[in-house]
Amino acid sequence: MNLTLKIWRQENAKAKGRFETYKLENISPDCSFLEMLDILNEQLVNKLAHPVCFDNDCREGICGMCGLYINGRPHGPDDGVTTCQLHMRRFKDGDTIVIEPWRAKPFPIIKDLVVDRSAFDKIIQEGGYISVTTGGVPDGNAIPIPKKNADEAMDSAACIGCGACVAACKNASAMLFVSAKVSQLTLLPQGKPEAAKRVQAMVAKMDELGFGNCTNTYACEAECPKSIKRSNIARMNREFICAKVCSEE
Amino acid sequence: MRLVKLASVTKKITIAAVGAFLLVFLPMHMGLNLCIIRDDGGEWYRNVCHFMGTNWIVKIFELVLLACCLLHIVVGVLLTIENYMARPVRYQVPSRTKTHFGSKYMIWTGGLVFCFLVLHFINFYFVKYDLVEGVYTVKTEKLQMHIQDRAMDLQKSFDEGKIGQEELSEKMMGLQMEYLSFFQLMQTGQPAEKLSRDGQELVNLDRKSLEAFVGKDFKDYEPDFYTMCNNLFKDRTYSLIYILALIVLGIHLFHAVNSIFQTFGLNHRKYNGAIEMFAVIYAILIPVGFAVVPFYVMFVR
Ligand code: SF4
Ligand code: FES
Repeated sequence: MNLTLKIWRQENAKAKGRFETYKLENISPDCSFLEMLDILNEQLVNKLAHPVCFDNDCREGICGMCGLYINGRPHGPDDGVTTCQLHMRRFKDGDTIVIEPWRAKPFPIIKDLVVDRSAFDKIIQEGGYISVTTGGVPDGNAIPIPKKNADEAMDSAACIGCGACVAACKNASAMLFVSAKVSQLTLLPQGKPEAAKRVQAMVAKMDELGFGNCTNTYACEAECPKSIKRSNIARMNREFICAKVCSEE
Repeated sequence: MRLVKLASVTKKITIAAVGAFLLVFLPMHMGLNLCIIRDDGGEWYRNVCHFMGTNWIVKIFELVLLACCLLHIVVGVLLTIENYMARPVRYQVPSRTKTHFGSKYMIWTGGLVFCFLVLHFINFYFVKYDLVEGVYTVKTEKLQMHIQDRAMDLQKSFDEGKIGQEELSEKMMGLQMEYLSFFQLMQTGQPAEKLSRDGQELVNLDRKSLEAFVGKDFKDYEPDFYTMCNNLFKDRTYSLIYILALIVLGIHLFHAVNSIFQTFGLNHRKYNGAIEMFAVIYAILIPVGFAVVPFYVMFVR
């Protein structure tokens, strides 16, 4: 396959970025998208040019590092996959592919396509955990948990914190991410004691960091590589209302 | 970036709660509108307008409604600005993500509905408060009494010595002329339309003839929305604008109804289907219900 790539290049957070165009030839359709970028970088290094910086780690859809905005969609044209799981056979010979970094105020660009997503970590630090006290190990069956809740908590926990929801949202809202984290903990008995405090703190942090306001467009749900459902957001809204109305915290 | 220090979810709930109230109001307004298609010479419709224009509970409701509209708009604009600021550098390629129908354009459909509301207010609401000229209904008895009152006032001023003989006869003459033309009007029904309600005779006048008969300080009239409606909707261009506005409103409503449930966290596997269905039905029924009136006036009446 022969491709034309238009890639966002930016020296550092402060520098002014621009699009660079690269031509790539003889790319195998079985290449993964990141391998294709590796090939490009190899060629650039051979020409003593700076390689294109992009985040990645596991390359199997687990870590959530590989966020790229490809042709107007986070993680590219496939549903329910990360960029590292995307293959070149999804594109046609002669295609032009535009690659942009996640664009959101709370995700400043570090270099080229790499953005700083520590805003997510800061939200987690506000309450995306349970306070564990020491003591004897409780009996495994002492607390009954409905199968449905366990399943739903597991589904919500599938969020890998990739930030595609923010990237896809026209408002750069982080509601899907935050609601997945809130849901995962709230659905289980261990998370219940801190539920009211958690949801308020995490929402407050999210707002403070400059994410946009959710307007229920559900672009997040459409682009989430882990198929996190919008019902999580509804649950978080519900938790938030309950916490504000009923809780004393 | 936050322009107002309220949690994003709180703002979302505010706009939804206020919107929910507006959703309750729409079917009511629609019901009132539909009275116009009853072939009774506007009796029902005029009664309804009379009630809506004079009942004090309605007046309070109206104030709440206006406040809600305002809040809805203010929060909506605020959210849009904040959301725009959350992405200072935009994407080069426009989003290709499939999203909920209408959801991306809420501020636009909302803006268009607002523009229509301004027109609507000028045509109807401001008439009610006498800010814009409409067609006015007056009880003939009241008109007559008003002219007599003015004659008595003149006589009194003369008795008290405030005006001279000359001025008195001059003004009395003017009043007589008015009375004469009023009498003529009552006989011929021209150029005004005669009606009756609760056994009382009423007459429809435009502002000019109204002022000619009773002067500028006369407050005992009410706008005749029935005549005004018919006149407006006979104009095809106006009807077209009205119907287009309703289509835009329908798009706004579809996302609105869905959103309200989501925002209040009313999401349940058992009822989600029903909610979606309700949104579709509501978003179609309301515009269609409103659109019946222009179609009826244009093609049936
Ligand atoms: S909710 Fe989905 S899109 Fe958002 S961060 Fe988690 S995995 Fe990524
Ligand atoms: S590199 Fe880990 S999810 Fe793509």
